[in-house]
Amino acid sequence: MIALAMDAIIAIGLVWLALRTVRGANVFSAIIMFIVFGLIMSLAWARLHAPDLALAEAAIGAGITGALLLVTWRRLQVLEGSVPQVGAETRSLWLTLPTGLAAALLIAGLGWVALSLPAEPATAGELAWQRLPEMGVSNPVTGVLLGFRAYDTLLEMGVLLAAWLGAQVVASEHRPGALPGPAHEEVPLVGALLSLVVPISLLVAVYLLQAGGSAPGGAFQGGAVLAAGGVLLCLTGRLEAADQASLIERVVLILGLAVFSGVGLVMLPLGEPMLAMPGVWAIYLIETALLLSIALTLVLLFAAAPGLRRRL
Amino acid sequence: MSATATIYLLTAAAVFGIGVYGLLQARQILRQLLAINLMGGATFLLLITLGGGADGPPDPVPQAMVLTGIVIAVSATAFALALLVKLQDATGSSDLDPPDAE
Repeated sequence: MIALAMDAIIAIGLVWLALRTVRGANVFSAIIMFIVFGLIMSLAWARLHAPDLALAEAAIGAGITGALLLVTWRRLQVLEGSVPQVGAETRSLWLTLPTGLAAALLIAGLGWVALSLPAEPATAGELAWQRLPEMGVSNPVTGVLLGFRAYDTLLEMGVLLAAWLGAQVVASEHRPGALPGPAHEEVPLVGALLSLVVPISLLVAVYLLQAGGSAPGGAFQGGAVLAAGGVLLCLTGRLEAADQASLIERVVLILGLAVFSGVGLVMLPLGEPMLAMPGVWAIYLIETALLLSIALTLVLLFAAAPGLRRRL
Repeated sequence: MSATATIYLLTAAAVFGIGVYGLLQARQILRQLLAINLMGGATFLLLITLGGGADGPPDPVPQAMVLTGIVIAVSATAFALALLVKLQDATGSSDLDPPDAE
């Protein structure tokens, strides 16, 4: 009963926050509502027996996406300069009303279809559970990500790299979107905070990586936590945008794809299929490479920069 | 179907519809991106709930797919935001209806 009440509260919270996101008074409050929506969503994942997703949603969905949205909002403001924003934030009633009605009809239709769907036997999932011991990891999600559907994960890394490359291609030459320096004077507490939080984010990232084999966690959650530490270093002005990526950054950016592809090809001459894992060590090797690549790519996307360097 | 599954299926439908509404009536591209992300979140919720998340042993395949989906969503959003900054830089506006068009 209490569990059901919990579900109801989460559901109402999600719907209300979604409404606030689309109807927020201004873009800033809409972004904040969206971030809170992500946090409540991670509670929903926990209720739905998906702790891996709960971690990923909190770290990536709410955390990194929220940081990206907020920093972009700030960049847009800087670019707008003193030009006042013209026009209302939302559309007039005669446009809102029919749109709202159509959306309500869509919700009713979708809800009806979703509830009347027949329950499908989860054949792929059952196979994954049965053959999980062969993988050497006991977290089924890690097993699926790196064993049974490794193609998805490999190509996902490609998408992440492509997103960063695309962002670099469209970035302006004079980089108006570069991170503004910290607006305030150096506060002594900032250094103390960083010396506490950044090592902890590194520790948590490595823990999540190590735990990913047998418990909720993995390269994606760990990478996002590590990226959060990097974002903090950018925000406090410890790191600043460089004109181009250093050699190390270039290597780390492609490390995930390169190691994954490399290990995936190793077993090919032995008659095994492509991306067959030669052992548990390979899974951890790939996860480590993925973690480093994910973390650096996310920080560089946040900084909208080809590379980073220490601010002197 | 358990009550928990019913609750989350209806939530997914509601959030998706709200996302479509937001996408249609937003005036700023940034708001449209938020609406698309809401629609994505609702889709993930539907997938996991139908994958038996509410009752019985959880199906790891949809969970892994949604995990992939979350990372793809943040990648696509990051690229869209980079495009948005470029648009603002090139045209001086990131609204859907520029002031002079009104």
